[in-house]
Amino acid sequence: MSINIIVCAKQVMDPETPSSAFSVDSDIKQVTPVQGIPPVVNGFCENAVEAALQIREAAGGGTVTVLSVGNEFVMDVMKKPLSMGADSMILIQDQLCENLDALGTVNVLSAAITRAGEFDLILCGQQASDWDNAHVPLGLSETLGIPCLTEAKNIEIGDDSVTVNSSRTDGYEVFEANLPALITVNNEIGEPRYPTLRGIMQASRKTPEILSLSDLGLSEDQMAPAMALSDLYIPVSEAQCEIIEGEDDADSGRLLALKLREAKII
Amino acid sequence: MSTRTSEDERKQIVSMVRDFVRREVEPIAQTYDNEDIYPHELIPKMRDLGLFGITIPVEYGGMELDFTTFAMIFEEISKGWMSLSGIIGTHHVLSHIVSTYGTEEQKQRILPRMASGELRGGLALTEPEAGSDAQNISTVAKKEGEEYLINGRKMFISNGENGNVFALMAKTDPQAAPAHKGISCFIFEKPVEGFSVGQHIDKLGYRGIDTCELIFDDCRVGSENLVGGEEGKGFHHVMAGLETGRINVAARAVGVAQAAFDAAIEYSQRRKTFGRNISDHQAIQIKLADMASKIHAARLMVFDAAEKKDSGERNDLETAMAKLFASEMCGEVAMEAMRIHGGVGYTKALPIERYYRDAPLMIIGEGTNEIMKLLIAKRLLQQHAV
Repeated sequence: MSINIIVCAKQVMDPETPSSAFSVDSDIKQVTPVQGIPPVVNGFCENAVEAALQIREAAGGGTVTVLSVGNEFVMDVMKKPLSMGADSMILIQDQLCENLDALGTVNVLSAAITRAGEFDLILCGQQASDWDNAHVPLGLSETLGIPCLTEAKNIEIGDDSVTVNSSRTDGYEVFEANLPALITVNNEIGEPRYPTLRGIMQASRKTPEILSLSDLGLSEDQMAPAMALSDLYIPVSEAQCEIIEGEDDADSGRLLALKLREAKII
Repeated sequence: MSTRTSEDERKQIVSMVRDFVRREVEPIAQTYDNEDIYPHELIPKMRDLGLFGITIPVEYGGMELDFTTFAMIFEEISKGWMSLSGIIGTHHVLSHIVSTYGTEEQKQRILPRMASGELRGGLALTEPEAGSDAQNISTVAKKEGEEYLINGRKMFISNGENGNVFALMAKTDPQAAPAHKGISCFIFEKPVEGFSVGQHIDKLGYRGIDTCELIFDDCRVGSENLVGGEEGKGFHHVMAGLETGRINVAARAVGVAQAAFDAAIEYSQRRKTFGRNISDHQAIQIKLADMASKIHAARLMVFDAAEKKDSGERNDLETAMAKLFASEMCGEVAMEAMRIHGGVGYTKALPIERYYRDAPLMIIGEGTNEIMKLLIAKRLLQQHAV
């Protein structure tokens, strides 16, 4: 059996950037890049790559193609999925992609997927750690007209179908869909494998295919945002400490419970 | 001589090793070091990552990375736990000896299994009465037919217990003058009749890794194990191998010092005295500036020595200088990190005391710094002879 998988992966700011180094420019409503801290592949997207590699290995053949949209890729960062074992990579790199909203990203990805040809499965990270919107996978499946299964913790491929265990707060649900399908994954699918020294050296001989929007036949008009960001700021957090003193421990507990109820916490 | 590893590859490799160290090594380092536990469970992971074949030629199953990248890998591992780098330290000294001086049969027999980590190497050079004075070894290999009969004792051998292939230095001509011309290098695999591992040595630092006594009591090794098939070349072989050892030891020193500095500069911005962060006091700022400058200088010296090694040029001067400077620097920086931390740096709660205990290994190991200075001076006087 052979299975062809497309993994959508996003380059994001390193979520482990120290909060002291994180700043936003409210005037232009953008996060200010931090000097000296390179970006990373979004964590859930790495989980998606891991899931794709496991599915390909279980199937005994096929391809894993990684697809990404951005305006300025850092190549040694983006090549990580190739070093992990993906077969090929398509990067849509265009200045017009600098501030794409979810709809614009969906338009670019769906055009690139259509151009890439037939596929059995699209895997996406559940959400990206920069904006945490989780919009793109849903929009992409809608645009491509294929089923969308979310928060997969386990994926089983059948003859023409896929069965997914979707994480829920109190357990999991089991879904089945026909192929082709789009599946989103999170960290419950398993830790992404390390790129080995051999994998890194092999990946260095693979050149990602780099496309512009015009290569996909997309115009600037189609990138117009459907959603406007009205404000961007770092919320001010304040910590207040109140010492509750009662006559004894039981009384202190009772007073604490009253306080918590007033605050609608319990 | 290795081909140059590209910048993109280096960045990815460093990122991968850093990730491995953060996820797998840092969580266990302090406990394993304190309790002197060998990290058996990390070995399969290190094998999968390819860390046993860093500089072994591609045709023998290795990665053939250049020595700058080799140094970067040792630095990253040592930031997390210096001891762990010992598992692949003398391993690569040994693989360098075989890939540079071994016969084709020896290369094919040994190197692919070393690259995969099936064979893990150690260097049996030091003896109870011969460390810095390596020509003075008393282990003897006497030729009997197609075999050598080996008798002697080796001391402080890293990977002695958990390693399974060793480069052994022994005298095939005890009367040779100068003495080094009577020394030969043998590669042998465990088990061998007449070979046993003696006492496991308890140490100040570099804990968790086996450092052992090796005993050769009428041990028989086939002549096919004589490196290069030639007697009397062993001293030359091992000195060339030790150049790679000195690069790795210097890189370990940079890693330990960087870890100590990173901890110190972070702590200095949290710890308050006299109403201010201690990083606001010039006394601390001067320490931080000195520490970072020395680390930077040492790292550049390591890279310079590594590039010389890659170029195929003679590099004993540069590797000795890098090892000398980086290891002394590491001792100073670890001490300064402890001063910045104050009392808490002296406790087992933080790794600062581990950095302080580990630093002398780099000062003493792979040739003491006193020997490094003699070697450097000898070369300088040759270069500047009047």
